[in-house]
Amino acid sequence: MNPRRFLAVARRIAEGFRRDRRSLALLIVAPVVITALLGWVLRDQAAASTRLVIANPAGAVGAQIETNLRDAVSGVDPKYGLTITSDAPTSDADARGLIRNGEADVALVLPSDIPAALQGGSLSLTVITAGTDPLSDGPRIAAVGALLQAAAKTFAPPGAAAVTPQITRETVYLSPDADQLDVLAPVFLGLFAYFFVYILTGVSFLRERVGGTLERLLATPVTRAEIVIGYSLGFSLFAAIQVLVLTLFVLGHVDIPAIGPIGAWTLGLNVQTAGSPLVAFIVALLLAVGAVNLGIFLSTFARTELQIVQFIPLVIVPQGLLGGVFWPVDRLPAALQALAQIMPVKWAVDALREVMLKGADLGSSAVQADLLVLVGLALLFVVLGAATIKREVA
Amino acid sequence: MTAAPVLEARDLRKSFGPIHAVDGIDLALEPGRIYGLLGPNGSGKTTTIRMLAGLSKPTSGEARVLGTPMPNRQMLGQIGYMPQAEALYPELSVAENIGFFATLQGAKGEAAIERALDLVELTARRGSPVLELSGGMRRRLSLAITLVHEPPVLFLDEPTVGVDPALRVTFWAHFRRLADAGTTILVASHVMDEADRCDELLFIRAGRVIARGTGAELRATAHTDNLETAFLQFSGLDAEGRPLDAGHVGEVEA
Repeated sequence: MNPRRFLAVARRIAEGFRRDRRSLALLIVAPVVITALLGWVLRDQAAASTRLVIANPAGAVGAQIETNLRDAVSGVDPKYGLTITSDAPTSDADARGLIRNGEADVALVLPSDIPAALQGGSLSLTVITAGTDPLSDGPRIAAVGALLQAAAKTFAPPGAAAVTPQITRETVYLSPDADQLDVLAPVFLGLFAYFFVYILTGVSFLRERVGGTLERLLATPVTRAEIVIGYSLGFSLFAAIQVLVLTLFVLGHVDIPAIGPIGAWTLGLNVQTAGSPLVAFIVALLLAVGAVNLGIFLSTFARTELQIVQFIPLVIVPQGLLGGVFWPVDRLPAALQALAQIMPVKWAVDALREVMLKGADLGSSAVQADLLVLVGLALLFVVLGAATIKREVA
Repeated sequence: MTAAPVLEARDLRKSFGPIHAVDGIDLALEPGRIYGLLGPNGSGKTTTIRMLAGLSKPTSGEARVLGTPMPNRQMLGQIGYMPQAEALYPELSVAENIGFFATLQGAKGEAAIERALDLVELTARRGSPVLELSGGMRRRLSLAITLVHEPPVLFLDEPTVGVDPALRVTFWAHFRRLADAGTTILVASHVMDEADRCDELLFIRAGRVIARGTGAELRATAHTDNLETAFLQFSGLDAEGRPLDAGHVGEVEA
């Protein structure tokens, strides 16, 4: 192992990359743009609206309940945007028609035998939604639930006092107002480092193979280990810059005052964080070293740069889906959970959440375990990457 | 034989599946001479050179450079190998390209780089990215990279392909100067008119050496003034490339 040689390899990567403005922009600007868009979408979504129609086939008793429900609307959290339409259908078929026509989002159907049901102590209500938008149905059904809770006395047996519980929300980590972005953004640091470093090394090493420079490299006394280490160093440098810029953007914020027609806005996402960005940085860097060598490894199986891109659905997308970015790994089906264990992104996501959300540091055994596995996987890919550099020289 | 051979091959063979690319080559090349490896495309020139240069392992037989069996990584520092492909980093400058390979080869200091660039007359373009160089300049840079560590053994795989006649003359003048200084050079080519610049020629066909000697010797043996005709005759073909007798069928692409 000659440091002069692997440093030369790292330096040549850096020199080439410095001149390749487009790749540099891809590496640093693209993640910031995507994260900014995500932040925008998650934080400034249009207010939810839940237009409820009440179908009452039960005559006078039902009408009384309906009135009570209308009175209770003001007691429902405004975040649901709950309103009750003025329509008065008397069957669930009519209510379905109103949803079909787009006049209502959700229907609450009272049973026709309300008096008997209340007396018997078991009341069954039907909630109807369009069913084409599960993402919105969730909050809408929750809005109906909140309404029923607010109108609880409606359903109380005659004479009994109604108690409406008040819920105060607290959390163990972060604060109750932490939003989806606060939970997703730290994880994106790792995912982006992995994704972009993979593409750049894959393409870069493919060019070495196709352009003949690898042949020329192998005609010098450089060892395969020196090539792989040089590559890892060179690309990790840029991964480091990327992670640094993205971390600043995600965690920091600068308030820009209104200028002319442009209103005041904030640069940076100001995501809540509990832990040390430095530890998060180490995690992302380890992940990037694995990605460098994955790129070298897969460049053997590609003939063109397009094919490097074609590997993305195979090696990157599954890690995004199964790595715990969007759904917790422990809720995956057993077979997929097993698969997730060999995914570097899974371990990085776990470590990043421990650090950024729960405030763990290097002393935490959970973080140590994640880092250990990441180091192991990075080493595995280093060996795989080196093995694909065909050389018949000892 | 006056000196110990710099390059040796003993029954060198390389097969790719059923194809015998190199089919039993024996060589002993002396220091300070230029050897021409001549043959059509696909005759096994590049495969032979790659085995001698330690880039490929023989299927059987042995290749030695300066007495050391190849492949051997340490020996690579004693070898200059100019591949057929351009094999340069297009986004890097001339100086960065040569500096990179010089470091890997263990060439010491800026002086070696300056000397190599001066030799191929690229000193003025040292800051230009390879992207902006002409094809001829790229070949010159490729040669400078091959020479930067002043190796005693040079393998040049079709060094003058795509090089204009004036530059070709310059290249051969460099090769001659290096040989005079003691460097052993093996040049693969399918351009017969370059052959006379070599001290000795090896005609190679279908992975075998079919004739060897100086240009004059080969012409005399074949009773012709033309090396190309001589090559065809050694291949068992007449001057139009037709088989001399029904027993030989072959083709010459070059």
